[in-house]
Amino acid sequence: MTEARAITQGRSRLPEWAITGVSVAVLIVAWVVATDGGFVDDLFMPSPSSLWSGFMDLVVDGYKSRTIWEHAGLSLERVLAGFVTGAIAGTVIGLAMGYNRVVEACFSPFVEFLRPLPQLAYLVLLIVWFGIGETAQIILLFLTAFPVSAIAAMDGVKSVSRQRVQVARSLGASDWQIFRFVVFPSALPEIFTGARLAIGVVYATLIAAEIIAGSTGLGWVILDAGRFLRSDYVFVGILAIGLMGLSLDYMLVAIEHRIVHWAGRY
Amino acid sequence: MAEQAAGGMNRRTLVKTVVLSGAALTAGLPARALLAAGKAPETVRVSFFLETKPTMIAKGEGWFDKLSGSKCAWTEAGSGAEINAAFAGKSVDIGLAIGSSPTASGISQRLPYELVGMVDNIGPAEEMVVRKVANIKSVADFKGKKVATPFGSTSHFRLLGFLKVNNLTQKDVTVLDMKPDAEVAAWTRGDIDAVYVWSPAKAKMLEAGGELFTTYKDLDAKGYVIADLIVAGTEFSKAYPDALTGFLVAYRNALKMWQTSPDEAAAIVGKQAGVSAEVAKHDMEEYDFVPFEKQLTAEWLGPPGKAGKFADVLKRTADFLVEQKSIKSAPDLSAFQAATNTTFLAQAVKAAG
Amino acid sequence: MMDTPNRSRDAASFLLVRPRWLSLLSVLAAFGAWWGITTFALVPAVLLPSPAEVAAAAVDILRNGYRETTLAENIGSTLWRCGAGFLLAIVTGVPLGLAMGYWPRIRAATNYIVQFMRPLPPLSYVILLIIWIGTDNRSKIALLYITAFPIIASSAMAGVRSVSQQRVQAARALGASQWQVFRYVIWPSAMPLSFTGARIALAAAFSTVVAAELNAATDGLGWMVISASRFLRNDVIILGIILLGILGIALSALVLAIDRRVVHWRGIE
Repeated sequence: MTEARAITQGRSRLPEWAITGVSVAVLIVAWVVATDGGFVDDLFMPSPSSLWSGFMDLVVDGYKSRTIWEHAGLSLERVLAGFVTGAIAGTVIGLAMGYNRVVEACFSPFVEFLRPLPQLAYLVLLIVWFGIGETAQIILLFLTAFPVSAIAAMDGVKSVSRQRVQVARSLGASDWQIFRFVVFPSALPEIFTGARLAIGVVYATLIAAEIIAGSTGLGWVILDAGRFLRSDYVFVGILAIGLMGLSLDYMLVAIEHRIVHWAGRY
Repeated sequence: MAEQAAGGMNRRTLVKTVVLSGAALTAGLPARALLAAGKAPETVRVSFFLETKPTMIAKGEGWFDKLSGSKCAWTEAGSGAEINAAFAGKSVDIGLAIGSSPTASGISQRLPYELVGMVDNIGPAEEMVVRKVANIKSVADFKGKKVATPFGSTSHFRLLGFLKVNNLTQKDVTVLDMKPDAEVAAWTRGDIDAVYVWSPAKAKMLEAGGELFTTYKDLDAKGYVIADLIVAGTEFSKAYPDALTGFLVAYRNALKMWQTSPDEAAAIVGKQAGVSAEVAKHDMEEYDFVPFEKQLTAEWLGPPGKAGKFADVLKRTADFLVEQKSIKSAPDLSAFQAATNTTFLAQAVKAAG
Repeated sequence: MMDTPNRSRDAASFLLVRPRWLSLLSVLAAFGAWWGITTFALVPAVLLPSPAEVAAAAVDILRNGYRETTLAENIGSTLWRCGAGFLLAIVTGVPLGLAMGYWPRIRAATNYIVQFMRPLPPLSYVILLIIWIGTDNRSKIALLYITAFPIIASSAMAGVRSVSQQRVQAARALGASQWQVFRYVIWPSAMPLSFTGARIALAAAFSTVVAAELNAATDGLGWMVISASRFLRNDVIILGIILLGILGIALSALVLAIDRRVVHWRGIE
């Protein structure tokens, strides 16, 4: 971007996309040489041709009684369900926590406890409590997103400048008006940062969720293929899941730019 | 073959040491000093399952260490797939009680190990448990039901065999991939109608409103035999044939103890696995612990250099896994025969007399 | 911090003096609910052990250890794996991130890899790490490293790119060398975001630690929980969860404290 180029007195002739292209090309050549050149066994790293045939296989025949699109669709559904519910609940609670110290004191122990807790540790308990259907999987993702969003929203409220609130109050604004026109808009950038973080952690937890009574979802495909050391399917799965993750992130950034167009103007 | 040459060279000393150390064991003398002559690695990396089997006697009493002349570094595995991955990552020397279906997939993928012995023939120890209230009396009653099993396991293999033999598809029956602990949790809630699994999960579900739906006789007859095996890394078995033989002798001694004084054996196993002696005894009674002499017949692994019928079982298992799209391809029968090496088993029998 | 609206202050003013008491109260309430559920058998006992059972398990494990490992060993190994993976990620991720922020060419050549790695679920590449590296501690640390690395690199990059142009130009106009610009302008401005990234990365690494100890581990809190669940020991599972949660809180608090000391200028700019 422009400011970065200014910092470094940008001398580069090659456009950045070309450098990215060269780097990708180098990686691919290294991969081809390593695998087709026989330096690395297919078990450790599939060759481009076996990756491609694995991909076509998954697209044409699907994986164990479902097409690859069904698997991907189910995963996406779970991620979105867990993220949307978790982010909304987390934001609401987080705003309340930032606004009111009683609420903060009551909720923060649980939020802080939940945030770094490895999801795999309580997987079995979720099955016990919520069964093996989609509910348990979505609740797991919900519990992952919730604390991240809550903390972001709380920090957002707390970072609102005190003067502005006082000015608004002295101008006769009601509590609701202060919240609606001062606190909320100022907290929104942080809320969005939190949302991006939340979708990241939800996504990272997807496979753990699909361990619960699997047989569907991209995450389960990777796990099941990994059991039989099918590195071709594992790689296809990782590529698919990685690209899906990237597009989700870009989507959120796009939404953020539309909604929080004032970010950084204060 | 290299193994045989190495084995031959040391056979006499080995026989002597093993016999002596066996005697020393029963007499309670330190056996380690007697074994100093044999060539043994510092440590043997063993991936094992914590389960109620005589293997736990040999582990708990330190026989594996003593008779292999090495310190065993034990790593608990959760599934045969984990042991396969560890072999691919060169992190393990011996896989103890890996199931026949992961072994078939491992050999198909040219993992650097060979089949050197059997822990047991699983028989009725892994079986279908159905919920009484689900009212499953015949094969047809499985339609529309939910059945859970740990994917990639021997139980999974049997369950899929059961569906195939009875012309059921995975559209008729919902097959769920669940670890044993998750199965018990879901069972208690009533989310699943049947499971195909081993103990302790199996026993728990039988206690909690489950009953057996016997499938193993029919399936064993139709070739869906499942067994727990001992595999050893080829590099390891070439370098330390004596240590490997000693390891097998230790298991043989444990089997003997289970046959001669089952109560004492069950008490040790129970302590190792964290269950009562009664539970351990009951679990062990369900397994068919095939004696080494019998393993060396054509019925099972076969004598050295002439692989027995079990290679066919592995081949069929691998073909089935290909059909399931779990592995890409299965090699010819000869590959499974070549991966069966009973040299050490035969030596273990000779050594112990 | 923002002033709390007056109404709530009046309502709970005595509690507000020490909100920590309130936190304690709400934790106690949760324990009370747990106790109530188990005492009145609202769920089958096999599914949820009572607080007393968990306490008994804790005492037993403190005294006798869990399957030949002491509790201290398990906590130690978990912390060691986490710490090693995280520190490696700092040592490599911060320089790369700074370089990516500073030189557009380096960014162009490497950023897509970092961004691709970032959203990958750790469980998706566990198996590859075992095949490539083996099952010993190195592959576990590698897993945590890969979890933390892209987060740290991205935030260090974002830190550099958030530096205001005017300041850089002002420093140059005053005759600062490249190194001086970096040392006195870019580095201090990039620090706050780098630290935020480090905190997130540590949390991510910590929440991956059970995944790291899922396969072929012989110690660690995650291993304890996994191994207990194989034997359906729910009391040990709950104990493990509580310990992991407390450890997680302690780690976040530690990094936050370091952050406050080191980046004392945060928010002043």
